[in-house]
Amino acid sequence: MDFPLLNLVLLNCLLALSQFVVLRAGVFSVATAGLAAFGAYTTGLLVLRGMNPILGATLGTAMGGIVAALLSIPLARLRGVFQAIATLAFVMIVYSICLNATPVTGGANGLNAIPRVVNTWILAVVVAVVLYVVYSVNKSAIGRAFETLRQDETVAVSFGIPVANLHRFAFVLSGLVAGLAGSLMALHNYSVVPEEFAFGMMVSTLAAVVVGGRSSVLGPLAGAAFLTLLPEIARPLAENRMVITGVLLMVSIIYLPLGAVDTISLRFRQRRAARHERRLVSPGEAA
Amino acid sequence: MLSQQIFNGLVVGAVYALFALGFTLIFGILHVLNLAHGAVFMVGAFIGLYCVVGLELPFPLALVLAALGAGALSVALDWCAFRPLRKRGAPEFSAIITSMGAGLVIMNIAQRLSGTQVWRYPFETFPIHIVQFLGLRVSLLQLVIIGTMLLGVLLLWWLMFRTSVGRQIRAVAINAHTASLLGCNPEFVHFVVFFVSGALAGVAGVLIGIAFNSVHFLMGEPYMLRAFVVIVLGGLGSVAGAVIAGLLLGVVQTLTFAYLSSAWTDAIVFSLLFITLLVRPTGFFGTLRIERRIARS
Repeated sequence: MDFPLLNLVLLNCLLALSQFVVLRAGVFSVATAGLAAFGAYTTGLLVLRGMNPILGATLGTAMGGIVAALLSIPLARLRGVFQAIATLAFVMIVYSICLNATPVTGGANGLNAIPRVVNTWILAVVVAVVLYVVYSVNKSAIGRAFETLRQDETVAVSFGIPVANLHRFAFVLSGLVAGLAGSLMALHNYSVVPEEFAFGMMVSTLAAVVVGGRSSVLGPLAGAAFLTLLPEIARPLAENRMVITGVLLMVSIIYLPLGAVDTISLRFRQRRAARHERRLVSPGEAA
Repeated sequence: MLSQQIFNGLVVGAVYALFALGFTLIFGILHVLNLAHGAVFMVGAFIGLYCVVGLELPFPLALVLAALGAGALSVALDWCAFRPLRKRGAPEFSAIITSMGAGLVIMNIAQRLSGTQVWRYPFETFPIHIVQFLGLRVSLLQLVIIGTMLLGVLLLWWLMFRTSVGRQIRAVAINAHTASLLGCNPEFVHFVVFFVSGALAGVAGVLIGIAFNSVHFLMGEPYMLRAFVVIVLGGLGSVAGAVIAGLLLGVVQTLTFAYLSSAWTDAIVFSLLFITLLVRPTGFFGTLRIERRIARS
């Protein structure tokens, strides 16, 4: 039992979750694509040398986390737009290394003939576990600290929230998820090529989170599913994929700045609050 | 040989500077990272090419029309992508996203119109004239590129520091709200800034198009990334910094290209960016006034 399209959706969900974690904590990082490349190449190289795929994927995931931890050191000194520039440069450096370090990475041809061991069920279980972890983090005290941090860093500091530590935590978590996604991609696609982890992945991952929503975990899931399935459902649109992503990015950030899922949940919450208020007020009016 | 490489590097750097000037202008004044700037540059290159090939206009006129066209596109970009966000007072993250989206749309339209092909200028568009000067081989085109860059910088300096518009621009850069209380119209300032920055990008696009004789829809991307390096090295919104850093980057890149390997140029250039951010996030030439916005205290 294997559903290629569903596999694609699930892999994109993982990448979107990795992007979601950092944005949630108010870090402007777009490093997910570069971190996923580390995971994919680590796993690919190890498995090609005969390592057990499970161990390979574990090490690939760890690699994502380690690189993220190292990257968080310079990133902690920056803020806002400069974090975006630095992580964009990181993605470009990783891409350039993958493309040019031919003896190790196979250059433009990438790594090939990686055994395929991942199927839909494995992916579904992995996504469910990651979702649970991210959801728990989001619901815990750390998640509330993230929310404060994202809205106003000065307020967060005045509440005694350890800003640098939380940013590092979010970044490493994001790196682990990205490394995992990359490892699974390597074990799913038979090959790892540099193009996969370049600008295109960065934009589509970011788009999934922006379109879906940035505060509930369902946002990135809905966004990734929507953006992956849209060109498949409407075939004529597939050729203009980039235009659609571009227009969706613009329209959603201008008209739905919270993202689809968060806007809907906000509406529901407002309506429930209004109903509640009416119930409280009406007896008084009757009297 | 070395001096020839350095000169070639300065020519490449002049184009980087021209491109990065517009980028740093928008960044310094609106505090917005305009990721569609590379697309504007590419459209400028295509307008120039169309004027020469399709309309058979002389090259200098094509350069002017490309500047006007790219400037107009840049203003349109401001209206569609940035103005709605400004009205709402959206965080800077939103502007990165819309400009990224707008860039994708423009590039895709250009891809469609150009048929995903690399377009070239006819052979005789620009006279090939080589002058020997102090042992350097200098072509007329290289002189034109350096001349255009100097002219661009002078005009920009004049606009910013010697006119009323420039005073308004600088006032809005410091604080848009206070500036509007004092009678500046921020919308007008944004119009001017986007037009000037688009026009600079358009000129850079035409010059690059003719220097490498290749125009295609993805040509903006590498320059966009170089512009990041330039603004980080030169400092946020600093015009002089952009020029010096642009020239420096051109020289560094040409030297690594000549003496190391072409494959590692990108990795070296971006590592330069990373090291700068690590060591001195405010850039080497920037003012420290706005440091708070860049580095965490």
